[in-house]
Amino acid sequence: MSEFRVLGRHHRKIDAMDRMTGVERYTDDLTLPRMLHCKILRAPIAHGRILGIDTSAALAIPGVEAVITGADLPTPYGIIPWTPDEHALCFDKVRYVGDAVAAVAAVDEETANAAVAAIEVRYEKLPVLDDPHAALADHATLIHERRKPDGSLVTNNISKRVELSFGDLDAAFADAELVVEADYRFHGTTHTPIEPHCALAHADARGILTIWSATQVPHYLHRELAKVLGLPRNRIRVIQPALGGAFGGKSEPFDLEFCAALLSLRTGRPVKCLYTREEVFLAHRGRHPFDMHYRTAFDRDGTIRGVDARTVLDGGAYSSFGLVTTYYSGQLLCSPYRFGAYRFDSRRAYTNKPACGPKRGHGSVQPRFAIEVQLDKAAVALGIDPIELRRRNALTVGERTINEFAIGSYGFLDCLAEVERASGWTERRGKLPRGRGLGVAGSTYISGTNYCIYPTDLPQSGVQICLDRSGRVRVFSGTSDIGQGSSTMLAAVAAEELGVALEDVRVLAADTDLTPVDLGAYSSRITLMAGHACQRAAKDLAFKVRSAVATAWDCDRSDVVLAEGQAMRLSAPETAMPIAEAFVLAEVEFGTLGATGSYQTPREGVHGDYRGATIGASPAYSFTAHVAEVEVDEETGEVQVLQIWAAHDCGRALSPTLVKAQIEGSVYMGAAEAVMEHHHTMPSGLRADGKRRDPGPGVAGLLANSSLLDYRIPTALDTPDITAIIVEHPDPNGPYGAKEAGEGPLHPAIPAIANAIFDAVGVRIDALPITPEKVLAALRARTEAR
Amino acid sequence: MLRLRPLTLHRPTSLAEAIALKSEYGTDATYFAGGTDLLPNLKLLQVDAQVLIALADVAELRGIEAVDDDGGSTLHLGAATRLSTLAADPVVRSLVPSLADAAGRVASPQVRNMATLGGNLCLDTRCRYINQSQLFRDALGGCLKSHGKECHVVPGGQGCVAALSTDTAPLLIALGAELDLLGPDGPRSVPLGRFYSTDGLAHTDLRPGEIVVRVRVPVPAASTHVRNRKWAVRKSIDFPLVAVAVRLDLDPAAPVLTGGRIVVGVLGPRPRQLPLDRFAGASIDEALALQLGDLAFDRSRPLPNVPYDADYRRERLRVEVRRAVRDIAASLEG
Amino acid sequence: MPDNDPNVLRHRLGAAAGQQARSEARDVRVVAFTLNGESVQVAAPAHWTLLEALRYRLGLIGTKQGCDKGDCGACTVRVDGEAVLSCLTLAVMAAGRRVETVEGLGVGRPHPLQRAFDDCGAAQCGFCTPGMLMSAAAMLDQARAAGRTLSRMEIAAGLGGNLCRCTGYVRILDAVEQAQRELGGGGER
Repeated sequence: MSEFRVLGRHHRKIDAMDRMTGVERYTDDLTLPRMLHCKILRAPIAHGRILGIDTSAALAIPGVEAVITGADLPTPYGIIPWTPDEHALCFDKVRYVGDAVAAVAAVDEETANAAVAAIEVRYEKLPVLDDPHAALADHATLIHERRKPDGSLVTNNISKRVELSFGDLDAAFADAELVVEADYRFHGTTHTPIEPHCALAHADARGILTIWSATQVPHYLHRELAKVLGLPRNRIRVIQPALGGAFGGKSEPFDLEFCAALLSLRTGRPVKCLYTREEVFLAHRGRHPFDMHYRTAFDRDGTIRGVDARTVLDGGAYSSFGLVTTYYSGQLLCSPYRFGAYRFDSRRAYTNKPACGPKRGHGSVQPRFAIEVQLDKAAVALGIDPIELRRRNALTVGERTINEFAIGSYGFLDCLAEVERASGWTERRGKLPRGRGLGVAGSTYISGTNYCIYPTDLPQSGVQICLDRSGRVRVFSGTSDIGQGSSTMLAAVAAEELGVALEDVRVLAADTDLTPVDLGAYSSRITLMAGHACQRAAKDLAFKVRSAVATAWDCDRSDVVLAEGQAMRLSAPETAMPIAEAFVLAEVEFGTLGATGSYQTPREGVHGDYRGATIGASPAYSFTAHVAEVEVDEETGEVQVLQIWAAHDCGRALSPTLVKAQIEGSVYMGAAEAVMEHHHTMPSGLRADGKRRDPGPGVAGLLANSSLLDYRIPTALDTPDITAIIVEHPDPNGPYGAKEAGEGPLHPAIPAIANAIFDAVGVRIDALPITPEKVLAALRARTEAR
Repeated sequence: MLRLRPLTLHRPTSLAEAIALKSEYGTDATYFAGGTDLLPNLKLLQVDAQVLIALADVAELRGIEAVDDDGGSTLHLGAATRLSTLAADPVVRSLVPSLADAAGRVASPQVRNMATLGGNLCLDTRCRYINQSQLFRDALGGCLKSHGKECHVVPGGQGCVAALSTDTAPLLIALGAELDLLGPDGPRSVPLGRFYSTDGLAHTDLRPGEIVVRVRVPVPAASTHVRNRKWAVRKSIDFPLVAVAVRLDLDPAAPVLTGGRIVVGVLGPRPRQLPLDRFAGASIDEALALQLGDLAFDRSRPLPNVPYDADYRRERLRVEVRRAVRDIAASLEG
Repeated sequence: MPDNDPNVLRHRLGAAAGQQARSEARDVRVVAFTLNGESVQVAAPAHWTLLEALRYRLGLIGTKQGCDKGDCGACTVRVDGEAVLSCLTLAVMAAGRRVETVEGLGVGRPHPLQRAFDDCGAAQCGFCTPGMLMSAAAMLDQARAAGRTLSRMEIAAGLGGNLCRCTGYVRILDAVEQAQRELGGGGER
């Protein structure tokens, strides 16, 4: 990394100290004069028709300023433009327990709560579908009444179906040495940011509506607000204040933003809506439950001949990103291994439960579990070391995956080698004490999506930089720093190019009035896309500064470097001036110093041209390998994940501390999904023997664990030791070669743990989560079988 | 955020004043100590109280003292003793280390800094159908402990079987603790082993207006060995999903059992006591560990009341009892 | 559809439980306590928690709210030196006590814990961090008073009531260890 002076070194986050001293303002930390508080009334039934709503008693309560219902916000919306199936407030039907029905604005939260409790709603109860297979059955009650282009009714609950086939799958299976076939289940988990969703709306006297929201997609929120409220976009301003975690859970508009906005428009007063923790769990958009049937064909040497995957996704009540999830469930599986042939058939079902959506590692964490366990089973059956089997199926740089994604860099083999070395795999595996085991898994992920979620030729990211005669640099960007450190990354890029200290870069982000558009913090896109845009703007300015200095020194521009707070002459390093003086020279010569940079994804040669080929395509792919070490208590069935070694190819670590922090956080989250977390509704959660309790009226679809007591996320005592290892294979499409680091490192944790359990005690748990009762039952079944 | 509903607060400085206030307000009023159980329940509107009577300023509820009496000593623990104090107190740690250990495993460090011993013993019963939001309980149609007529844990059941999820009660029952109570009708004492009933709606013996003033814990003899075991999914924050205390009384002259008991918590509203008299004469060994594990398994039937698989909790109980016995056996060898 | 149709539900939140909405606070007190070393008075209804009083009356927004009811530790403050949950502490019960929040942690310059968190990258979104810092500060002060140096496992146990969703705790534990070294612990481990 010696070619860089800022990038690749340890950085403190530019915004951390303000957060640690209680100065930084998150959304709920904002208060405006005469602010009202909004509360939302939610449906107590999982499926029903609204027959009538009586708000008169609520309006009669002193201090209640407005009450709105679905009729006030009739325009449907959805983060994916093709599937707008949500309303801010339901006006015809409710589709899960917790669906929003009415909202009130009152002088304080207590009064708003009282008002919500004074609203009477009459419902007609409809049959509840809480199981995706039942929802997909013929003649199931329709959760959404959708029309085809010809006007006829869509007579099923399929939210999306994707069938794609590559290569000759039948031939691949026909003469395979080994076919591994199994059913896998991913159970469903949720993001659980510690900050609950919150929105503050202010329709001011100028006719401008400002929304401060705990969102990770201000741009998309901006568009949807305009659409639903019927206001021009230039009258709406979206600001994302400091954000207390998101993980995909804040990556689309939610009812509270529309409600706060409309209530503010109605009352002319600022309106804040802060979710309760229960509402965060109900809003959900978490990782879909998947039922996966996998067949994988292998040669004797472990070569993957073919993969045949059939998947049912339990989507919950609304589409959310479901169209994309359904594609991702198959499309993101074709790396880091070469498949001889591949077919997948994924169906996403609507069910009467909180809607699923994108959670860190969107759409591909579930199939990754299945395929990596399939590989482990094959390794055992063929007598090949599981790391070696993975090596034998490696892709190469310049290759296209079977679904035609272009691989521009490929550090996966180094990732494998790193975790093999760090974990002592070769020396320790098979020699560990009883009950202990090691498991490996690999994965890949996208660095942003090649296309925006709405059709456009506009850039995906824009950055504007201004230089100040005091020597400071201002970076304006639409990106959302959700804790991952994207603002620090932008500052580091600007500091690198302009020769200033990191502390002298100010980043203003995520304000649709002031910052250029960036699409937001999703699909691990910011480092690659905004990083490029920032680099371009900064290089443009550096060019001007160096030109002005070269003029002053009467030397060639190429002889001037900006570094370490100075402009220096390369050929005569004793010739230098403080950077502020250099900026002044440039400002004299060029006028006020500003530049923009933008980024658009490559359009040629990055994906195929079949229908769906663009979904999952990315400018660059990251790679990860994990080795997990577990200890299984054979008397209790309890699994202790002792340590996870995670090596991640992020292309180039622009800020290694932040990259390692992303790896660690990802590993933690994946490990928790493997053995602890489960977002579930009542009937399926009632009995561990799999028997369903006959749900009483109104009970099916009822979220069982909507608190941080009952939805158990790990404490410091429950988290394994994590060793994060950075692998750098620069990608030609990444800024300085950089790729993503925030989502990919999650994927292998779950299968690595499952594979380690097999190594430890010889049992497979193919249905997540891996709970003690399942392990104990499997151990007993194995004993009985002997 | 969830807000409490408006209420009135009183801060009496004596037990007499507290009891008089409770008599004045009756069922509208609730005593309030650490608040870590009551306030969440109030916020979730599981319970309602228009008047809170804070016990924080009542000095009579404080203090830790070892009192020598006939044939041994007894720990007198003020009911308002905080769990973190109990866990760290040198007297408690030296005389009844298992109690310090149990108190130190409750919930989280912050909760232990707030919650009191009396509060932990008077914890409201818990169930996956009641410790939920108002929206959930509405959607469910209620249950016996809220506004419903149906038990969802035991279909057709007539009595509420919500679980007593305290970490300290099984151990204190095993130790033979007694409670000193004070109410409008004066003081009385009750063995903790007879304090709980099987009614999840009214699971303690407290009469209207009564307060737990003191917990008296006989310091176990050197030949008495007690272990407390807790299992929960997480190593912090969680309520116990299995809570069991094993007390083995040994012959002072030889390491054989003369008696003792197993006390199992988190079943229903009342911990189950399993006397070990019939094992008198047994050696403290693996065979006993297996036998006592099986005894606990056979005689306890965890219900799907708290949020974890009931069958597994029963299996786990067996293992925890075994491990308690093994731990005692190991300590005898050491 | 008529109301007596079995498929029709008339719903008013909490009505089945016979709950009467209460929104008017009559029991409002002026509470005086020491806040970050200064005497303050605040008028708070009896049902307000210390968290609400700090955030919405006193403007100290550094203390965060995450779970509503004592499950996450984001609202941790110190009362008379000990880490407690401000979301489960009634504001009026703070009368006469010594309350410390993250705003009072560094006097004039960042506290060693804040510096260590910054150095180690222990704060990502930063939302759990104030509570985490207050738990850590109480723990380190207590250990120091007892002349003890805490092990990494003991630090993890001391932070067991503070949930973090970003970091996997790795850097948080690193930071507390670093701060402990800087502050100078006691003797044996």
